[in-house]
Amino acid sequence: MNNYTVDILTPSKIVAKGIPAESLLVPTVRGQINVLKDHTHIVSKLGTGIVTVFGGEDDPDRYFSVTTGVCKVLDNKVIILANTSEEDHEIDVQRAKEALKHAQEQLQSSLSDEELTKYRRKVERAQLRVQLASYKG
Amino acid sequence: MANIKELKKKIKSTKGTLKITQAMKLVSAAKLNKAQQAIQTTRPYATELEDTIKTVSALVQNYEHEYLKEDVENKKAALLVISANKGLCGGYNSQLAKKVRQFLGETDLDVKVYFIGKKVRDLIKTEVNEGKFYTFEKQDASFLEIQEVGKELAELFKTGEVGKVLVAYNIFESAIAFTPTVSQLLPMSLDEQVKAELQEKFPFDFKYDPNPKEILDTLIPESFSTSLWTAQLDANAAEHGSRMSAMDSAVRNCKDAIRSQTLTMNKLRQAAITTELIEVVSGAESLNA
Repeated sequence: MNNYTVDILTPSKIVAKGIPAESLLVPTVRGQINVLKDHTHIVSKLGTGIVTVFGGEDDPDRYFSVTTGVCKVLDNKVIILANTSEEDHEIDVQRAKEALKHAQEQLQSSLSDEELTKYRRKVERAQLRVQLASYKG
Repeated sequence: MANIKELKKKIKSTKGTLKITQAMKLVSAAKLNKAQQAIQTTRPYATELEDTIKTVSALVQNYEHEYLKEDVENKKAALLVISANKGLCGGYNSQLAKKVRQFLGETDLDVKVYFIGKKVRDLIKTEVNEGKFYTFEKQDASFLEIQEVGKELAELFKTGEVGKVLVAYNIFESAIAFTPTVSQLLPMSLDEQVKAELQEKFPFDFKYDPNPKEILDTLIPESFSTSLWTAQLDANAAEHGSRMSAMDSAVRNCKDAIRSQTLTMNKLRQAAITTELIEVVSGAESLNA
């Protein structure tokens, strides 16, 4: 049963358009929320995390990474506007691991506040990608 | 009347031009493809973002953001003109220059003009109050570079140095069509009418998490840089499209020219042969007589 559709859009790419879903897990800044059919209208700020789309019986489950953005639920249509987003099979695990290592190394050295936030975000993103890639198995 | 040798030379050089225009057309076609894809994947995000902001800001009461504040007193404005760095693209640059001139003639604002792309700058810099000219590391600006430009312009607006930030560029319609426009980026004002319509359309309010203020605080700057970025992508796609069609007609012109020149040359050659033959025949006749 397809209950509603999900769009995931980023400035550089349409990651997913109108994929059917029965249930959806979204990471907001205040924790994960679950969206089911006929969910109330909501606009929510997203944190960094994994969006899980459960397709139900007919459609496959799909996993996406998202970093900051907003999620809008309106009339059984979910629109996720994210800064960056990737589906699990698009992730290059090797590269993500290397990026994580590099960013962690950078964090060890003394940095200015600005750089510190930058590399913390990088670590966060890289960790997320490694984690998402491990979902595959 | 030109002689055969001259015509041969001319045909040869026209053929050279044909090769160049053909190559340029192919290059533009490839670039257009890429640019078109970029704009087409960004547009849904941009429109959706704008839509969300409009809806949320129409429904939320008592919300204020520095990007939304309108200062009617401040008659100063910054206009960013996005054009190409290269010519040979039909009316792309000149039409935009015309549009900017027209806008400057009609407005009562005191406009300082900033430029991306040197072609329109070269065309109008003597007539306007010229601000900064932005150049980028590569031919095309990256998202980060555009964001930097946006930050600078937003800073001008925030400090009250200008009351409006506008952008002029060519909107990409299709491979052969574009529309020059001037649009306002800041303040992001919402029409009262649009607001009323939205309020009617959504008689309920959304639920917000964490709260509408925080959401709008992040969305509004995001939308500003996204609209600047789409403007750049639009301009880029329009440039390649325009160049492609310009080169297409150049190729056609070249082919026409070659055909007509070859025809004239053949006619001349035929005439020369005929004259020669007549000379030979009449010479032989005179010997027989």
